[in-house]
Amino acid sequence: MHETVDLTFDVNGTERTVQVEPRETLADVLRERLALTGTKVSCDAQVCGACTVLVDDLAVSACTYLAVDADGRRVRTVEGLATDGRLDRLQQAFIDHAGFQCGFCTPGMLMAATALLEDDPQPGRDAVIHGLEGNLCRCTGYAHIVDAVLAAADRPATTDRPGAMDRSASADDAGPAA
Amino acid sequence: MIPRFSLARPRSLTEAFEAFDATGGDAAWLAGGTELLQVMKMGLAQFGTLIDIKALPELRGLDRTADGSVRIGALTTHRELERSAVIAEELPGLARLEAQVANVRVRNTGTIGGNLAFAEPHSDPATFFLACDAVVSLASARGRREMGVDEFVQGPLFTARDQDELVVDIIVPPPARATGRGYDKIAFFERPAASVAVRLAVTDGAIGDATVAVGSLTEVPTLVPRASAALRGTEARPETLSTALRSAVDAFGELDVVADLNGSADYKRHLAGILLGRAAERALTEALARA
Repeated sequence: MHETVDLTFDVNGTERTVQVEPRETLADVLRERLALTGTKVSCDAQVCGACTVLVDDLAVSACTYLAVDADGRRVRTVEGLATDGRLDRLQQAFIDHAGFQCGFCTPGMLMAATALLEDDPQPGRDAVIHGLEGNLCRCTGYAHIVDAVLAAADRPATTDRPGAMDRSASADDAGPAA
Repeated sequence: MIPRFSLARPRSLTEAFEAFDATGGDAAWLAGGTELLQVMKMGLAQFGTLIDIKALPELRGLDRTADGSVRIGALTTHRELERSAVIAEELPGLARLEAQVANVRVRNTGTIGGNLAFAEPHSDPATFFLACDAVVSLASARGRREMGVDEFVQGPLFTARDQDELVVDIIVPPPARATGRGYDKIAFFERPAASVAVRLAVTDGAIGDATVAVGSLTEVPTLVPRASAALRGTEARPETLSTALRSAVDAFGELDVVADLNGSADYKRHLAGILLGRAAERALTEALARA
């Protein structure tokens, strides 16, 4: 038998207990043990942000965070954002502002932006860009993602972006990467 | 996947050293894990036991000491440094540096002790601490010792720390009056391509003491004494800095710059020249504000 450790933690508001090996990452446990596959693993090196989850309100890379380090803590994943099938404000803003294309980076973007808005409820565009610079979007839809986060923060989404067009008036599919 | 290991979770320094001893040396200290878990995952290192040091109270804390030094506990995260009121007041250049380290997830988990102990040649804080004359404090079952950053960092990914030793804290000594400590970097990937840290003290309207350190250029963060000397004696106004900066940049020609993914040696030297100007200007602005 390999050494295992009892891990008890709060996942999206529910207490869970899992026997894990010390070497298992939080991403492993969320995806393989708890079937919470919303959290994606892409670079597996803390660079891309696809695996971003919140541990005690702080964004971390679940791919390189030991599951045992979450013992006794509160973990939030993308599955915890919606309530009773209703999308939260940020998720709805991503839809309204076309904040995703293929969608692979989206769970990480949503969790990174959730932490960002909880920390700074009224960020400017620069603060959003800085806060999300560790989350990579291979489809390069950055401008729309930033617009979505600003909209969720109740900031005018398009007024301070140079050259931005109002999406309600005109499609803006050639938006530059932020 | 990370290779299998056993986990020890000591609650004090004494327990930590006992845990290390019990492994016969096949162990590594685990803090934020941003470097260690990565190299283990890549198969570059393997340990029978990881000793989790996050619960050691001796490695915590971030405060001013009685003599005006700033003591940074090894477990302090990059994010805590970025947000600390003490750092904002005493070392604003460090707060700015920390806000730009890697990404917010790494800053939330990665610790300053781990960063220094890993000795990645492309590290921001080591270069800054080198220019600040900071002291690294180490502890093991055999006792304590202290050394400067230049003595601590001995090569790429190689430090003076013995395997059973822990970084306890980093002490930044109190600066002379009217001192500023500036830093700037450029990064194309997660880590800096080139960086420069400058410490300046203004005396009687001129730059008195000056220290220039470069990072990511050479194999380890390096002091550049001739660049430091070129800045000394200059009239302490941003407009008069440029001549002194030109001769300071010349001193970078002597450095054994390593070409890497970020660019050729000449290109990195060129970047460092520009960063020196920006770091010096920040240091001078801070020094004049404290005069």
